[in-house]
Amino acid sequence: MSPPTQGIWAIVLLVLTIAAAAVFGYRVLGLYRLLRLGRDESRVDQPWRRLRDEIVVYLGQRKLLKRPYYIRGVGHALIFWGFLVITWGSADLLLRGIVGWQLPFTDTAAYAWILDIFAVAVLVSVVVAVFRRAVLRPPRMHRVPEGYVILTLIGFLMLTLLVFESAAIAATRDELGQLLRVFPPVAAALAPLISTAAGPAIFAGAWWAHVVTILAFAVYLPRTKHLHIVTTLPNVFFRSSRPRGALQLIDDIENKETFGAANVRDFSWKQLLDGYTCTECGRCSDNCPALATGKTLDPQKIVLDIRDQLLREGPKLLADAKAETTAPAHWVATKPDELWACTTCAACVEACPVTIEHIDKIVDMRRSLTLMEGAAPPEAQRAMTNIERAGNPWGEARATRGDWAEGLGIPTFAEKPDAEYLYFVGCAASYDRRNQRVARALASILKSAGVSFAILGAAETCNGDPARRMGNEYLFQLQAQQNIETLNAAAVKKVITSCPHCFNTIANEYPQLGGNYEVVHALPLVKKLLAEKKLTLTGGAAAEIVAYHDPCYLGRHNGIYDAPRDVLDAVPGVTRAEIAPHNRERGFCCGAGGGRMWMEEKMGQRVNHRRVDQLLATKSGATKVASGCPYCLIMLEEGVGAKGVQESIKPVDVLELVAARLETS
Amino acid sequence: MKFLVCLKQVPDSTVRVKVAADGKSIATDGITWSISPYDEYAIELALEHKDGDPSTTVSVVTVGPARSRDALRQALAMGCDDATLVTAADTVGGLDVAKALAAVVKEAKPDVVLCGKQASDDDQGLVGPALAEALGWPHVGMLTKIAAVADGVELWREIEGGHEVWTAPTPVVGLVHKSAKEPRYPSLPGIMKAKKKEIPEKDLAALGVTPGAPRAEVVAMEPPPQRGGGKILKADGDVKALAAELARLLHEEAKVL
Repeated sequence: MSPPTQGIWAIVLLVLTIAAAAVFGYRVLGLYRLLRLGRDESRVDQPWRRLRDEIVVYLGQRKLLKRPYYIRGVGHALIFWGFLVITWGSADLLLRGIVGWQLPFTDTAAYAWILDIFAVAVLVSVVVAVFRRAVLRPPRMHRVPEGYVILTLIGFLMLTLLVFESAAIAATRDELGQLLRVFPPVAAALAPLISTAAGPAIFAGAWWAHVVTILAFAVYLPRTKHLHIVTTLPNVFFRSSRPRGALQLIDDIENKETFGAANVRDFSWKQLLDGYTCTECGRCSDNCPALATGKTLDPQKIVLDIRDQLLREGPKLLADAKAETTAPAHWVATKPDELWACTTCAACVEACPVTIEHIDKIVDMRRSLTLMEGAAPPEAQRAMTNIERAGNPWGEARATRGDWAEGLGIPTFAEKPDAEYLYFVGCAASYDRRNQRVARALASILKSAGVSFAILGAAETCNGDPARRMGNEYLFQLQAQQNIETLNAAAVKKVITSCPHCFNTIANEYPQLGGNYEVVHALPLVKKLLAEKKLTLTGGAAAEIVAYHDPCYLGRHNGIYDAPRDVLDAVPGVTRAEIAPHNRERGFCCGAGGGRMWMEEKMGQRVNHRRVDQLLATKSGATKVASGCPYCLIMLEEGVGAKGVQESIKPVDVLELVAARLETS
Repeated sequence: MKFLVCLKQVPDSTVRVKVAADGKSIATDGITWSISPYDEYAIELALEHKDGDPSTTVSVVTVGPARSRDALRQALAMGCDDATLVTAADTVGGLDVAKALAAVVKEAKPDVVLCGKQASDDDQGLVGPALAEALGWPHVGMLTKIAAVADGVELWREIEGGHEVWTAPTPVVGLVHKSAKEPRYPSLPGIMKAKKKEIPEKDLAALGVTPGAPRAEVVAMEPPPQRGGGKILKADGDVKALAAELARLLHEEAKVL
């Protein structure tokens, strides 16, 4: 049926559409101008990867379809794909109603069918969404009236769509009787409820209701979290092209005057765009180990506080470039404890469906606290001072860094300049007695496989990861530069690490400062050595069940989930157990990342204790829990001790299990 | 109020100290130097005062070799206003250091002079009291807190199981103990500003000090003896026999019973 916009009505529709577009445009322009208050940041490298992200993340809804949100994810995807299909139809309705142009496909039976089915799917999803809000009430969800308004608008759009489609069929029943079978099924099923005579009037009424609702939606949208249907598009496109584990470099740090983020102006425009894009779904908070164990940190609140402050103070700041602005509310109100509780485990970043970068914001605020105000917690300051003075956060003597290797016949690079690999031992394996055993295990594995390697001994210094994550970018850069100079002077090409933090920093962050090496974590390397038959393991030891704990900086930050598992599976006598559902990309942090290893944990339950609870809850019969990270090992050791289960389940490094089964020649 | 903090650069507490070839001093090559910890607490005490009253000035001074300049920079980075380096050989004795400091103090005319209660390298605790003596000023030791009052300063001293509060007229010398507030971590702008600050240099002669012959001489230095490994008695058999064996070992080998 042709649209009910004869004569004057086409003009009415035109005026309404222009008015709605003007309000929409004005509001979006306002948001854009607020965004420009943020710091400059270039986000246009790798355009093809960015376009691919749009297809996968925006169109494909990839980040919504994740454990444990599959059903909700499918619900959202249906609403979203329905929205795309229906938006095409909406554009067609407006164009046809005003100027009589028809968009391609909209007159085909196939499109009518798709529209019909999606309208019903969206309606069902809306009902489910209302039910979740009103009855199930997921704890982390912000339940604001706005959610109901939006769901009502969407539901009303679908209902009016179905009604005017049915009315159209009813009105034209006689002439199109034999074509009934090509009519969309739901509209056709509803059509008999409408008499042929009433058809045109009902059609016109529902049509206008539908079109006006679309325009109202457009006007309302920029004021709501539902704006994410628009902002997700740029937010995904402009997402960071850094490896996930790499923090942003402060370039030319010696000549800058302010560091980090103390107020909304200090965040980059992209970080502000994150705020416009947040859907308040709460998945980040749902997965945060700090929040789960009773800390005040709430990653969603960080994103929303920044957004709310921008909306509240932004207009004033636009009017007066010099206007004073306060720090984000969470910072002032609840003290910086929130910021210091973050382990940078990336569970929030992993969970976010719209690629919000939580860690960058938290670290930027930590940078302001540490670099501008020298206001890190005392234990963190002690760790930083130790790194400065002794080259390790524990404050152990610099000169004794290589002592763990004494008597093992491990050469230093000075002694063996032609070694193929540098084993970058890291502070934990150099000084922590428990982790020294892991370093020795790796050394024996490398020797057994005939790998040519050497260490730096006392010439190695902390890679800088804890300092950087505590916000001390300056100390990080000093440490990194020192190591890069040492590595370059020794002409190092390939680096092995047994610590995921060393691995992440050297592989993903040193390139920012001109240090480019081929870096491999020990577990993928051992996997390769096993595949190449350079390592043979014997089944001497007794059979055991070993649970695998994913270190955040191997797993979520670097996507290394399978190699450690493959190595465990290749160890004779070992049966692998999973700490499900908190495994792989949902792995639960040990609590030591982000510099937390050196800070006291006074609020709530200790993260590592929760992790041991999860481990025990699986009742897998595991007698060992294996990891690939020295921090995880220390935290798990403390955790099983505190829970009094150290006799029944022993934390180990996967490397130790391998080394225990080396063929001794 | 005008503070002057006297500090000493010492080997950092993380350094594994080795005896030098001469057998009378420590090997200094490649070691990390820092401000003596009690001196850091003294700086913190003065800076806390400055936090509360911005009209406060905090100066720092050290007597030592050229490398001591780094310790002064560290103090400036923490927020001190100005620094003076009195160059002197490492071997200059505590009394001469005190005389040199006294000359600096007389010129600077501070209300309060603070020193750490002792330096962490030789632990003599000599310079502070000697400086007070050279100046003819009162001195109060074991300070953990200092507050301005009408006719001078209120000084909190730590004693066994509590603290005493003394008042003293200014000028006064205070010797600072470890307090609850850890010395602050310098901000990056502080570090950058400190890098650019001029640090005037004086020598002992300019201050009218002629180092006398050393009153004490180090005859020899040696590292403490290596600790032997402990002995673990396995508790897998007869507990009584185990106890008897333990008593025998404590009596015959350790000779403590």
